[in-house]
Amino acid sequence: MSMLDIGGSQLDTSWFLLLAAMLFILGTIGVLIRRNPLVILICIELMLNAANLTLVAFSRQVQNLDGQLFALMSMTVAAAEAVVGLAILVDIFRHRDAEDIDDLSELKG
Amino acid sequence: MAVAGGIGVIAFRQPIRSVLSLVVVMIALSILFLLLSAQFIFVAQVIVYAGAVMVLFLFVIALLGPAKEIAKGRLRFQTWLSALFVLALFGLMWAMLQGVQYRQPDKADLNAFGTVQSIGIQLFTTYLYPFELTSLLLLTAAIGAIYLSRREGDDR
Repeated sequence: MSMLDIGGSQLDTSWFLLLAAMLFILGTIGVLIRRNPLVILICIELMLNAANLTLVAFSRQVQNLDGQLFALMSMTVAAAEAVVGLAILVDIFRHRDAEDIDDLSELKG
Repeated sequence: MAVAGGIGVIAFRQPIRSVLSLVVVMIALSILFLLLSAQFIFVAQVIVYAGAVMVLFLFVIALLGPAKEIAKGRLRFQTWLSALFVLALFGLMWAMLQGVQYRQPDKADLNAFGTVQSIGIQLFTTYLYPFELTSLLLLTAAIGAIYLSRREGDDR
C-alpha cells in the first residue's frame, strides 16, 4: 500500500480506487435494472466518471501527467457520447413514447 | 468519499432526481480531483460535466416531460440476476485492488503537477495528435446531433 501526501495528511491511494469501483458498480446496476433510456445514459456517465477517477488517482500515484491527459480525452469522448445519445433519444421520443427500453427492441426503420 | 458513494445510490430514482444527484456526484468527484492535485481536470469537470452535460440532460428531460418509470419488468428475475453479476464484478474488482502494486513514482515537482501550464505543455507537444483527433470527434458529434435533431422538421 502506498500513501499519498495530500495537504499534509496521508491518504492511501486504494481508497480512491475503491470509491471508483463502487461508483462504477452503481452505474452498472443502474444500466442493468433501470428501464428508462435516459437514466441508462446517466448511469453510463457515472461509469465514465468512475473510470476518470481511477485515471487521475493513478496519475497522482506515479506522479505522471499522462493519466490526467487521458482523463481529459475520456471527458471529451463522454461529452460527445452524451450529445449523440441524447439526440438519438429525442428523435426516438418524437416518433413514439418509449418509456421502456424494451419497447425499442426491434431494429426496423 | 463515502458521502459521494452514498449519493450515487440516490441516483436510482426518478429521472430528474437522478440527474440532480449525478450533479452532486460530479461535484464531489471534482473535489477529489482537486485533492489529487489535478487542478485543470477539476475545472474541466465542473464546467464540462456539472455545467454543460447536466444542463443538456435537464433540457432533454424538460423537453420530453417527466417520464414515469415503469416498475414491472419483462424479466421477473432480472434484478436478482443483475445483482448477482454485479456482486461478482465487485468481487473481481476487490480482488484486483488487493493485488495492485505501484511502481516507483516519477519524483515530479508536485507544485507544478496538474497545473494548466504543465497540462498544456504536454497536450500540445506529446499529445498533439490525439488532441487534434479529439477536435475531429467533437465536430463529428456536433454535426451528428444537429442532423439528428433537424431531420424531422425538414421532412414535414
